[in-house]
Amino acid sequence: MQTLVPQPDPPTGVRIGPVQAEPYRWPYDGSVPVARTALLCIDWQTDFCGPGGYVDAMGYDIALTRAGLPATAKLLDHVRSLGMLVVHTREGHDPDLSDLPANKRWRSAQIGAEIGGPGPCGRILIKGEPGWEIVPEVAPAPGEVIVDKPGKGAFYATNLDLVLRTRGITHLILTGITTDVCVHTTMREANDRGYECLILSDCTGATDPGNHAAALHMVTMQGGVFGCVATSDDVIAATTTS
Amino acid sequence: MSTHATVDAMPSPYTFDPATTALLVIDMQRDFLEPGGFGETLGNDVNQLRSAIAPTEALLGACRAVGLTIIHTREGHLPDLSDCPPAKLHRGAPSMRIGDPGPKGRILIRGEYGHDIVDELAPLPGEPVIDKPGKGAFYATELGQLLESGGVRSLIVTGVTTEVCVHTTVREANDRGYECLVLSDCVGSYFPEFQRVGLQMIAAQGGIFGWVAKSPAFIGALQRSAALPQAA
Repeated sequence: MQTLVPQPDPPTGVRIGPVQAEPYRWPYDGSVPVARTALLCIDWQTDFCGPGGYVDAMGYDIALTRAGLPATAKLLDHVRSLGMLVVHTREGHDPDLSDLPANKRWRSAQIGAEIGGPGPCGRILIKGEPGWEIVPEVAPAPGEVIVDKPGKGAFYATNLDLVLRTRGITHLILTGITTDVCVHTTMREANDRGYECLILSDCTGATDPGNHAAALHMVTMQGGVFGCVATSDDVIAATTTS
Repeated sequence: MSTHATVDAMPSPYTFDPATTALLVIDMQRDFLEPGGFGETLGNDVNQLRSAIAPTEALLGACRAVGLTIIHTREGHLPDLSDCPPAKLHRGAPSMRIGDPGPKGRILIRGEYGHDIVDELAPLPGEPVIDKPGKGAFYATELGQLLESGGVRSLIVTGVTTEVCVHTTVREANDRGYECLVLSDCVGSYFPEFQRVGLQMIAAQGGIFGWVAKSPAFIGALQRSAALPQAA
């Protein structure tokens, strides 16, 4: 359970938007105060993108899941200087596995990475283990919210919606891994809940580059069915003080 | 007494118990599927979706014959748009917005002709119809409650469109612990590329969101299971 830490008031007059994005200039309502915007950093965990994590140990090329780290770190510096709310998520389960659906456990065992089993950085996807921690490049700063989630989506069975609504957040900028799994599931959940979403192509990544590209393309169809796609530089360039 | 059935599926055989399985038919609505509807007005080729109608009709017949639970969904909003988020209503400057008058009634508004399900797949009395305001069928609906109270564990998923409402619903179901089998010939996308990659993403990484098979394989397994002698 996370506690809400009081945040300093953001500087007044700072807004984001319009951002040069696809398929429209984001957000739909022109621009948004920083105070109503949150940056989501999804599942930047050692087991998924750290050297020696289990994705690395399974022989995948972690350069693909690490590709978005430098741009995300730079963007974090920028939004922290603006006082924007930053929310980190971690996928993981309780040590007794009481929040692990049976089919998720079975499937993870089928691919040789059983959740709760011994991995290269502690028990795989178990809260408190080294492999479950967020990598140092984008580590949470004191006071930033961390949401622990048992699924791919960051809204199901978590306090994320409550945290965002309590802060008056209406717009979300999404970074993290992997593009087609946890980031997309979270973006879909957020979109249904009415949040105006922007996913950043250079701050995401997937174990399959084809799925990364397809997931971004899907966002842009039909007038932006889930929101928009842009880069971190587009966001930084669209920061204005009025 | 439960009778388990197994379907040859990707990435591995899918096992289900018909007594705890429900068929989900997602958003087979006139506005998305019929010529002259909202979907076509936006420039989409509705034939890409219509190919799912006949196999889904046959599937419904087979499921009804053995008494499988069947649940339909419709995407739509209240006439006063009070359940439509501003971001959904206003984004992208479309030629027609939700609530505007369309060729088959107000676009995506509950109760309008275009919002209802196509005649071929019309729900029978007693089959629940879930009205959903979003892409996912779990958020802000009674679906989760309905499945829990019915003891459902496995979902057979069909409908449109593959990468939007079908995918969002399967992702929601998967996080909730339901075992999902998506029937590739009973789902459809306006974009062939998304049909292909959407199905591939479901079965990737050992079946990260679920399983994929064709409807004849599922119907065969269902009928074999129903033909077995039932214990008292």
